[in-house]
Amino acid sequence: MTEFVRLFFNSLQTGSIFALAALGIVLIFRTSRTTNFAQGLIGTFNAYVAAYFLLRFGWNVWLVALIAIFTAFLTGVIIDTLIIRPAAKVNPISKQIVTLGIIMILVGLIPFFFGVQPLLFPSFIPSRFGIDILGATLRYNTVFIIVLSVALMGAMFWFIQYTRWGLATRVTASNETTSKLMGVPTKSVTMVSWATAAILGTLAALFVAPSVSVQPNMMLNVQLSAFFAGTLGGFSTFIGPVVGAYIIAFARNFTSFYISDIWGNVLVYSSILVFLYFKPYGLFGKKPTKKV
Amino acid sequence: MLTILDNFTKRVHGFFQGHVYRNYLLFGAAVMMIPLMHNFGIIGSGTLGIWAYIVIITVVALGLNILLGFSGLISLGTAGFVGAGALGTGVFLNMGLPFELAALLTILIAAAIGALIGFFSLRVEGIYLAIATLFVGEILRQIYTQIEIFGGQMINIGAIRFLGFFTLNANPPSERRFLFVIIVAVMVLMMIAMHHLVHSKTGRALLAMSRSQAAAQAMGVSILSYRLIAFVTATVFATVGGVLYAVYIQNAPTTAWTLDLSLFVIAMVVVGGFKSIYGTFLGAFIIHGIPNLILAELFGDVSYIFSGVLIIVVILFYPYGAIQVFYDVRKWFHKGRLKLTTKRSDRSA
Repeated sequence: MTEFVRLFFNSLQTGSIFALAALGIVLIFRTSRTTNFAQGLIGTFNAYVAAYFLLRFGWNVWLVALIAIFTAFLTGVIIDTLIIRPAAKVNPISKQIVTLGIIMILVGLIPFFFGVQPLLFPSFIPSRFGIDILGATLRYNTVFIIVLSVALMGAMFWFIQYTRWGLATRVTASNETTSKLMGVPTKSVTMVSWATAAILGTLAALFVAPSVSVQPNMMLNVQLSAFFAGTLGGFSTFIGPVVGAYIIAFARNFTSFYISDIWGNVLVYSSILVFLYFKPYGLFGKKPTKKV
Repeated sequence: MLTILDNFTKRVHGFFQGHVYRNYLLFGAAVMMIPLMHNFGIIGSGTLGIWAYIVIITVVALGLNILLGFSGLISLGTAGFVGAGALGTGVFLNMGLPFELAALLTILIAAAIGALIGFFSLRVEGIYLAIATLFVGEILRQIYTQIEIFGGQMINIGAIRFLGFFTLNANPPSERRFLFVIIVAVMVLMMIAMHHLVHSKTGRALLAMSRSQAAAQAMGVSILSYRLIAFVTATVFATVGGVLYAVYIQNAPTTAWTLDLSLFVIAMVVVGGFKSIYGTFLGAFIIHGIPNLILAELFGDVSYIFSGVLIIVVILFYPYGAIQVFYDVRKWFHKGRLKLTTKRSDRSA
């Protein structure tokens, strides 16, 4: 029972992190029509910014997190204006490779600014604070990550559903040309989407940083899981990837504990493939109508 | 003077418009000259390794070009199949099978997995298909790193015995040059095979499918069989690339076959040229050659920034691939010649 409770909270935490990353990916996929392979590395880069300020000037974790969120906003805006917008006319596959170009630029910038050593980053609430539930220790940091992510995603869904700007985002996602003709500022919508996605990715990176330390491929696992979550939940809704993220986190944690570390992953991936065969557009996805 | 120039260009043109094989053979012969440069000490042995990698990855990218360029399908699992080629050859060779049989078995197994993905692609499309192939790549990667038969970190393959009578080892430079010639020969063979494939009924059917599936189906193109053909061909090309890797490097790591490699192979097709055989080689050169041969020496660690910028700039200015540069050059050349001839006729009038 102890193990079960521990795994349960653990999966909720990793699920929240996957969900943040997945939401960023789907936001960009819907508004910019591209698979953003750089999502993980944008987060990593800004986690480096936070770790750098923390180690260099000894600033508070919360303060450097705020700085990282601000630089994430800037990174998103810069990437959209300098790279994605000029590439608006290239075909979707080339656009994905443009994001590979962004990855390479960031991979080159990291040693230039921050050196080649992995940097340590502490958790937001030190791990000695926690409570016992059925014998398992529940850290306040875990609770903080889960609550903050859920609240943040809830706020985003409310925003997308009930505000003017959210409406603009939804119509841009559904058809960019028509929305532009209707007077929707699609350029600003895309820019804000990139900024938001960068912030979400940075938060995910800051949350995994204590366990893997800040290094160039810290987000590898998170990003892969986020892609898988998007596919499982369906890219055509915003809620789908979030649900998919929690399912994948639970499935991977439980199978790797109760079956085995490797075969757990293989089993989860294969079952998702089988599931996709029967529901090719994910849990919540709808088949897009095609004109011949 | 002009007539001589005219004659000359016509000759050159005629030569290259001649038999299809000649171009590929000439191209292969030119690439085979690279070890000679190594012989004369113009380039170092590390440089030869980079060129070998370009040749190997060109074969892989050619297969992906059939998917991306001709069929409009995408695969993010390419790296898994390159790994299958290298590791599979290693495993079968260590079991004591002759090289040819080992390579053949590996390719057949990989082709079977490719056919499965082909079946799968009938139901799933777009980004869902891309990520589904990523699932396959990840499953393969987990298997490589965790199953004991693949030796944990890497498989040592050692010298390879070709056709049962001559053995080549990667270590002495003299034998490595022969290995280089062999992999270039295979690349030329694969280029010719691809040329035939895309200029045949199959190639036309694939093109039709990529433009409009419904229209292609209405014209009697079977989507099932051509998707199978596309995926199986791409997998076979990727696996052959892996086998070449095993032949040239003679050891196969288990951890190198990640999403990054698949993305780089896609980048080669995108940057080099959709639907272009030489463009694929050019793409491999731009993505792997320029950063490692030129930028790394100039800038060191920071060279990644320049490679990233290079990829983005090429895509922005040549959305159909860098091979278009040559078409542009040819256009300018023709325009210039036209201008000169009209000037001459003006003068005579």
